[in-house]
Amino acid sequence: MLKSFLAFSLCITCMGGVYAAETEREPFDDRYCTTCHGADGRGNEGVQAPRLAGMEPWYLRRQLENFRADRRGVHPQDREGIAMRPMATKLSDESIDDIIDWVGSWEYVPAEATIEGGDPARGRGLYGGCAVCHGDSAQGNESLGAPALAGQNDWYLVTQLKNFMAGYRGAHPDDTYGAQMRTMVNTLRNEAGIINVVSYINTLSR
Amino acid sequence: MSKQVTRREFLNLLSAAGGTAAALKAGSALGLLPHTAQAASMDLLAAGAANRKVAILGAGISGLTVAYELSKVGYECTILESSHRPGGRIFTVRHGDLIDEIGNRHYCEFDDEPHMYFNAGAARIPSTHRNLLAYCKELNIDLEIFINENKTSYVQDPALLGGKPIRNIDYTTHSRGFLAELLAKSLNAGEMDQPFTDQEAETLMGMVRSFGSLDEDDLYKGSFRAGYAAGGFLEHGVQKDIIAFRDLLQTQMGRQLLSANEGDTGPILLQAVGGMDKITEGFTKHVGHQIRYRSMVNSVEVKEDGVDISYDQDGSRHLLQADFCFNCIPSHLMTGISNNFPSQYVDALKYIRRGNAYKAAFQAKERFWEKDDIYGGISWMNNPSNQIWYPSSGIHKEKGILLAAYDFGDGSFHTAMTHEERIEAHLSDGEKIHPNYRNQVEKPITVAWHRMNHMLGCSARWQRNPSGWTHEEEELYRALQQPVNGRHYMIGDQVSMHSAWQESAVMSAQWAMTDMDRRLRA
Repeated sequence: MLKSFLAFSLCITCMGGVYAAETEREPFDDRYCTTCHGADGRGNEGVQAPRLAGMEPWYLRRQLENFRADRRGVHPQDREGIAMRPMATKLSDESIDDIIDWVGSWEYVPAEATIEGGDPARGRGLYGGCAVCHGDSAQGNESLGAPALAGQNDWYLVTQLKNFMAGYRGAHPDDTYGAQMRTMVNTLRNEAGIINVVSYINTLSR
Repeated sequence: MSKQVTRREFLNLLSAAGGTAAALKAGSALGLLPHTAQAASMDLLAAGAANRKVAILGAGISGLTVAYELSKVGYECTILESSHRPGGRIFTVRHGDLIDEIGNRHYCEFDDEPHMYFNAGAARIPSTHRNLLAYCKELNIDLEIFINENKTSYVQDPALLGGKPIRNIDYTTHSRGFLAELLAKSLNAGEMDQPFTDQEAETLMGMVRSFGSLDEDDLYKGSFRAGYAAGGFLEHGVQKDIIAFRDLLQTQMGRQLLSANEGDTGPILLQAVGGMDKITEGFTKHVGHQIRYRSMVNSVEVKEDGVDISYDQDGSRHLLQADFCFNCIPSHLMTGISNNFPSQYVDALKYIRRGNAYKAAFQAKERFWEKDDIYGGISWMNNPSNQIWYPSSGIHKEKGILLAAYDFGDGSFHTAMTHEERIEAHLSDGEKIHPNYRNQVEKPITVAWHRMNHMLGCSARWQRNPSGWTHEEEELYRALQQPVNGRHYMIGDQVSMHSAWQESAVMSAQWAMTDMDRRLRA
């Protein structure tokens, strides 16, 4: 035992300390989404990270690429986006592929409604403009690049709509879909409109 | 707008002080004040044939405390730890260690020597944290003095003397002198017939003179307390120049400097020799085999007679069934894990805000501060890096590890930066005190707790309002402290009224175990 230990030590010395140290280093990968986005990517209100389970792969890819390319999460008032962007900055194309596969393995379970004080009937009227792209049941439409809204965490939808309205999201010149949303969100007029339309989306299911 | 204090108001203040003294006596008689006591050792009933399986979620110090104590009396404990290491926010960084900050993962490149470590999380143990200290004693953890305040360290503020760093002792000696002079003038300005007796008035004046090092005319004209400009040993000492009171008043830092020796950071503070994670090691020597690393909890279901926990490890899902569960997963992460907790419990979890403490460290190529009469302690800067800590250990060795920045209150400024931007910020801030800093340090690490994997915060913030706990906040806190069905306990410093201290985590664990034990005895 002692002999083999000595032999091993000598071997390390031959190779030089650096290599020996490298081999002992703790490995990591890029599958860290669930720390923020919750178990099986079902979202976590505690850190305001939305649900990923059930998110369309093409939409997820576009957002990861937007974050990686500084097209999203750069406005100083976009608190959640600012938290997300550095997570995506160092992702390789392979890591993004892997994350999309991983997210696809999670079961979709619609989020619980949490917001209060909205008027779904008024929201329904406001939703007409949204339905053109996002679909009557808020099920999303890939050909128009519009993600599903039904089943998403309502607090997240509210934050994002506010961000679009205030120009915290969608202002980057290369964010074409974001620019569309910035135009469309004005039909909701104000925060009450946002709450109402999200209350209505809460009544829809995919 | 300034407001003059009238003599009447001043005397009212003094008489209010007399009232406090009276209240102290009364409080002591009623047993309201803490009296000296040893840490209570746990007196737990030995585990029976049933109710002996315990799941512990998180290998932070509260979870380890539970594992250690319950194992002693025969419980079968399993600890699920989501990260690759034990200790949680007890995180000592050494050569080769992974700093698992999401978006800023890096390895520590410090030289591989015992004194070359950095306590990126817990770093100080107040001597009154007796429960933690009792474990240190029981687990044979070597402790040494942690130097917090150092009178030769620096104070630097662009508003003070054009940004020229001054020694802490210059700031405090002169400030005290001028404060004492003002106080002495107020006291001498009128009759001292009330509220004090002649004897009390004389004692008070003596204290004031001594506090400020006043001369026989009750004036402050500088003091050797600030050290010597020259001489002082083989030759007569030459007094340093006074810094004018008006100049001292240009900085707000006096609030920090004049209270540095009070409260949690008052002397004596201790640290574990070789790094704070020696405490973690003390526990894991006994219960380390119970830890399943890289095990992320997916759901917690409290049942009538136990708790079911599903978790992911090695790419597959596992089920852990236990009779009791002690859970120190941070509240803001627990809200993202499926559970069947009662609504008030969930409300409490959601209510707690996560702190965003930030720390950074450099390896110093030489211990340049020791050449500047500094041994341990903190230099304070009025800039975002805020503090430089000189190591209390490794004195007179070649190199050392410096804390380059510590923002406990709001670390978001540096958190939002890239690793490289943070380092440049600390170099640029630090060289305002140590002009050659940039060339004297290397091998930086930065730790934004708000983004540390499996943690995402440091530490729990219950109070929305600095003035104190609201009734509603206290109700939520009490609700979270109580077990669900007598089976599931939230623990950790987050379930205390004094977060960010190891002692709070230990006491929270002890409270929960005592409660479980009481229920089993009933």
